[in-house]
Amino acid sequence: MTAQAPALLSLAGVTASVDEKTILHGIDLTVAAGETHVLMGPNGAGKSTMGHVIMGDPVYTLNDGTITFDGEDISGLSCDKRSRAGLFLSFQAPVEIPGVPLSSFLRASIAGRPGLEMKGKEFRRRVKELAAELDMDVSYLNRELGVGFSGGEKKKVEMLQLLLLQPKLAILDETDSGLDVDALSVVSRGMDAYRRSTDGSLLIITHNTRILEHLDVDRVHVMVGGRIVREGDADLIPWIDEHGFESFEREASSAKAEA
Amino acid sequence: MARSVEKTTPTVLSGVNAMPAPTWSWLKMNSAKVEVPAGLEPAPARVSVEVADGSADVLSANADAFDDALVAAGKRFASRARASAPGDAAQQAAVAAGLLDEMDVPALSLYQHGALRVEEELSVPEAFASGMGAEAWAYLRRLGRKATVVDVPSGARATVTVRVSGAPGAAAAASVDVIARRGSSLSLVLALDGEADGAADGAAGGAAPGLVGAALRVFAGQESRVAVTTVQTADDAFVALDDTGLFLDEGARVEVSHTVLGAGAAYTGLAADLRGDGARIDIATSYLGARDQERDFNYEIRHFGRRTVSNMDANGVLAGSSKKVLRGTIDLMHGAHGAEGAERETVLLADEGVTNKTVPVILCDEDDVAGNHGATIGHVRPEQLFYLGCRGLSKEAAEDLFIAAKLEDAALSAPDEATRASVVRLGEAVVPHFKEEIA
Repeated sequence: MTAQAPALLSLAGVTASVDEKTILHGIDLTVAAGETHVLMGPNGAGKSTMGHVIMGDPVYTLNDGTITFDGEDISGLSCDKRSRAGLFLSFQAPVEIPGVPLSSFLRASIAGRPGLEMKGKEFRRRVKELAAELDMDVSYLNRELGVGFSGGEKKKVEMLQLLLLQPKLAILDETDSGLDVDALSVVSRGMDAYRRSTDGSLLIITHNTRILEHLDVDRVHVMVGGRIVREGDADLIPWIDEHGFESFEREASSAKAEA
Repeated sequence: MARSVEKTTPTVLSGVNAMPAPTWSWLKMNSAKVEVPAGLEPAPARVSVEVADGSADVLSANADAFDDALVAAGKRFASRARASAPGDAAQQAAVAAGLLDEMDVPALSLYQHGALRVEEELSVPEAFASGMGAEAWAYLRRLGRKATVVDVPSGARATVTVRVSGAPGAAAAASVDVIARRGSSLSLVLALDGEADGAADGAAGGAAPGLVGAALRVFAGQESRVAVTTVQTADDAFVALDDTGLFLDEGARVEVSHTVLGAGAAYTGLAADLRGDGARIDIATSYLGARDQERDFNYEIRHFGRRTVSNMDANGVLAGSSKKVLRGTIDLMHGAHGAEGAERETVLLADEGVTNKTVPVILCDEDDVAGNHGATIGHVRPEQLFYLGCRGLSKEAAEDLFIAAKLEDAALSAPDEATRASVVRLGEAVVPHFKEEIA
């Protein structure tokens, strides 16, 4: 635990809504550089929403609070600027973009990023290297982004981008959902490689504690009904594994009733 | 025929790319009006023809070769005339003979009258048309002066490249007649390019205007194979006019690839007469519209022969405030038993400001035929934009990505190095280091 480490990402009193329905209620959360955090909670708790709000998804309205990243208030920045500031969100369901080859997309994503820009040959070498690391067929690079990719391949592409972009903080939104054992191990390998090569921070949103087995988790946050209801260290994971979220949900509803 | 086009006259070509069966005129899709910039100098010297090594000797001095081939085919197909054309034609014949009263017969539209005339006469030369229509065809042929005649002998193979290198202030168009004799095989590349004055950014921006074009007639003889690949890469200061008319004899197979990437205003027309049984045409159109570019297409496929097949596939990206009209008509004429025609289009609209119009038309005067059309037209969805945003791409960068992807694809599939270099020139205007990226 590095409680004294300067915060890389910090949410202070973040309240966010969609279509006038409030989803997140006064979230406070801090992730320091190099830390691995896990956000857990039952379905519909608002975990993915939090990932999207941090990233600046225009679908959501930030009603209150501030999001600070790397010393800068990013609350008003568009998602592309947040990405360039060093934030990354891996999608639960990566979108398909017909007509755009994966390689063109990858090139556009690194264009203009200091330290990451690569010329043609170097770029191709680097991408092939990463594809090999993730057991990804290089023929995918010439295919249209996401079109006809299996669930596992889509997640590999997300991991490839994580390793290519080397963000300061990556939010992995249920990257492990719906994957078979082989694909799961590729995702784990991707996370490992990211931590090894960049010492970047991770905020992992998951249901599945299995993906966490090989990770040194610094902090666990439990979200219920759009609120962080419990925080603890890695010991919370086996406890949740055994007991689930029911007790948190009960506490949350009784707290709500009292309020 | 006029010897030259007057230098100072601004020309307006009307009725260009007119649909054979018009729709509501208020939709403003029936045809286009082309404004040819004033003061363009006809520049026939800007057209070059290369016959690839190993090809048969195919350049002919016989200016009448195409017409002769068409007339000869007309004689062979004349046996299908009038008596074998019942339906509307039969009714009209009965009216003419006084057996039916005119009031007993449904009134015909202008188009139906025209179609009936073609059906009754089945005159091959008379039915032959180009996609852009008579006015534009005549203009282009005048610019081209003397047509290049490519006459591929029976059973021979040839590869021919025609380049039109437009220049500011010049109107350059190729006139090409192709006769692919029985069992021959021809690959024809038409490269329409034009580099504006100091147009480093590819955009018009006050650069002197120019025009590039082509007027192509193809007679695809029995069992011949003809591939036409047109790539248009002119800068925005240019108007591009690409007009084609095709005749397909028995078992002929024609593949057409139209890649429209450049020119401020680009017009593409193609008409095909699938006269011979078992003839087949496949048309793949790839287009890009950016900035305030205009793209206008007209495809007309007439199925006369039995078991004839046509496929039209268009795939485009529209960005900025570009405009596009695509007209595609499959006409399954009387007697075309077992004919099949299909048209499909996929368009990606990368910006709210684009205007995209598509008119698929299937006309049918035969029972035993199949006509299909489908279109996928999509705006870039908010979740796609968010995804791209999460990878650092602003809305503008996302739009550039769609454009770049189209150009990259065109560069990789360019038929030759010179064409590839022209695509790269357009690409460099949109994507920094485009050349290195695709190297």
